[in-house]
Amino acid sequence: MRKRQKIGKALTWLLLALFLVWTVVPILLVLTNAFKTPLDIKKVPPVIFFKPTLNNFIKAFSVGDFGLYFQNSFVIASITTLISVIGGAMGGYGLALTKNRWGRVVSNLMLLGKLVPAITILIPFYMILNATHLYGGYIGPILAHCSVNLPFVIWLMFGFIQDVPAEVFESSMIDGARRMQTFWCILLPMLLPAIGSAVILSMQYSWNELLYSLQLTTMSSYTLPVGIGKFVGAVSVDWGKSSAAAAVTMVPIIIVSFIMQKYMVAGLTAGAVKG
Amino acid sequence: MTLEQGDLLPVLLLLPTLTIVVVVMLIPLCYGVYISLFNYDIGGVLNASTFIGFGNYIDLAKDATVWRALYNTVVFSVLATMGDLLIGTVIAVLLHKLRPSVAGPLRAITMMPLLVSPIIVGLIWRYIYDPTSGILYWLLGLLGLGLKQVPGITQSSTALLSVIIAHWWQITPFVILLVTAGLVSIPCELYEAARIDGSSELRTFFKISLPLLMPVYMVILVISGVDTIKVFDIIYALTQGGPANATLSLSIYAYNNAFQMYRMGYAMAISLLTMGVSLILFGIPFIRFNRRGAR
Repeated sequence: MRKRQKIGKALTWLLLALFLVWTVVPILLVLTNAFKTPLDIKKVPPVIFFKPTLNNFIKAFSVGDFGLYFQNSFVIASITTLISVIGGAMGGYGLALTKNRWGRVVSNLMLLGKLVPAITILIPFYMILNATHLYGGYIGPILAHCSVNLPFVIWLMFGFIQDVPAEVFESSMIDGARRMQTFWCILLPMLLPAIGSAVILSMQYSWNELLYSLQLTTMSSYTLPVGIGKFVGAVSVDWGKSSAAAAVTMVPIIIVSFIMQKYMVAGLTAGAVKG
Repeated sequence: MTLEQGDLLPVLLLLPTLTIVVVVMLIPLCYGVYISLFNYDIGGVLNASTFIGFGNYIDLAKDATVWRALYNTVVFSVLATMGDLLIGTVIAVLLHKLRPSVAGPLRAITMMPLLVSPIIVGLIWRYIYDPTSGILYWLLGLLGLGLKQVPGITQSSTALLSVIIAHWWQITPFVILLVTAGLVSIPCELYEAARIDGSSELRTFFKISLPLLMPVYMVILVISGVDTIKVFDIIYALTQGGPANATLSLSIYAYNNAFQMYRMGYAMAISLLTMGVSLILFGIPFIRFNRRGAR
């Protein structure tokens, strides 16, 4: 019995160790490739000690225009997040005000949009933007990203508001506070964790999204994933340049996500453990 | 707080979202259905002369590539989701057995792939699968294997599986996260009782944990499983649908038709088929999820 336990424990650690290697090595590969010369990148097994170079980054920013893409991604992700969080918090409160089972149903119906693939929306949406001369700027990707984020944020917010004890509303109502006052002064501070979740998840989605941005932007409004897509789309890949571009794209969002880890986890697991 | 007749505030509060949902989802969707009834290329016209009714859908049924893409999409969706659930559950359960002070940081590290853009996931794995400089073939070489035994993304027999593996790498952390949340919410007393009854760990998992995790799996299907039908980014970076259409998904095929061949009507029919597949495969989890919510 004792021996079996020991074997079990060893097996647990072996599996976990393997899983960690499997998780971390690919990320380390792309991050180190970003600093390697083309010759070092081609070497197997991957060289661990090498003379780092910034050439790949210089190429990505000069030939690839990744400075501009970074700016575009930042603007699009920020505006998307702002609209999604404000609109979503308002919508979630709106649903909570109806206070009957329809609130729940509508908030879940919001998620139905997830059954519609992006490509199904993209083709006609692209044509509409083209016809209305709104194509090519920031507005296309922002609207598209909001249409994905907003329903999710409403669903998230509604779930959180439902957890707020009813007395909180009622006492403020008795005090004669208007409903919007209740929202701004009482509810919003209580919803800050939910807002944190909405911010980080909206931002992540918009920052990493490819398909909408790929087709709704032009040279001057390309986002980072689109820029990378143009690098790897070709038959051969310039590993150094694309790794540098990938590093520039993934490092900021990984750092922000780790800072906001608590909120991210709360947002992702919302709905999984209650209801 | 009760809703009175004609109370406009909730509607006003929902207005921004409703506007965007109508403008970016409902109108394009209806317009898309309309376009799919025409033999319409970019620069063409939408009128009686190009109206072909269900012509695009009939072509769809005759197009072998569509069937291939449909097959790939469904296989991808099923295997990707099953693998995510299986690997994610195993790792979550193992991590759950550790002390929280150890499990916490480990869990944080395992989350990283989730934060990486899918296009970068494709790029990373394309490098790993590279026959000359990829780490995979170096590892296989140590075992005496090579491109011949494990052709990876270069042969149609293994290309789809290679793409699925890249997907597993990215999405497993999400399952770990949710299953962990589910495990934490299971009352300890249940495990105590099982231990007193002398139930083995494996038995305890299947008899107690798994049934209680079912709602969590439903949420995973609704939030993440459904995304597998739309798979685009990873394939776009990794194989672009090749070799010989072995990894062509419906989304990729619709995209190519729309934005490389400019056959908008036909592309729209393919993308509506994609939506149909999504509804058929994931509609039931959605309905059950809704019913739970409506209670």
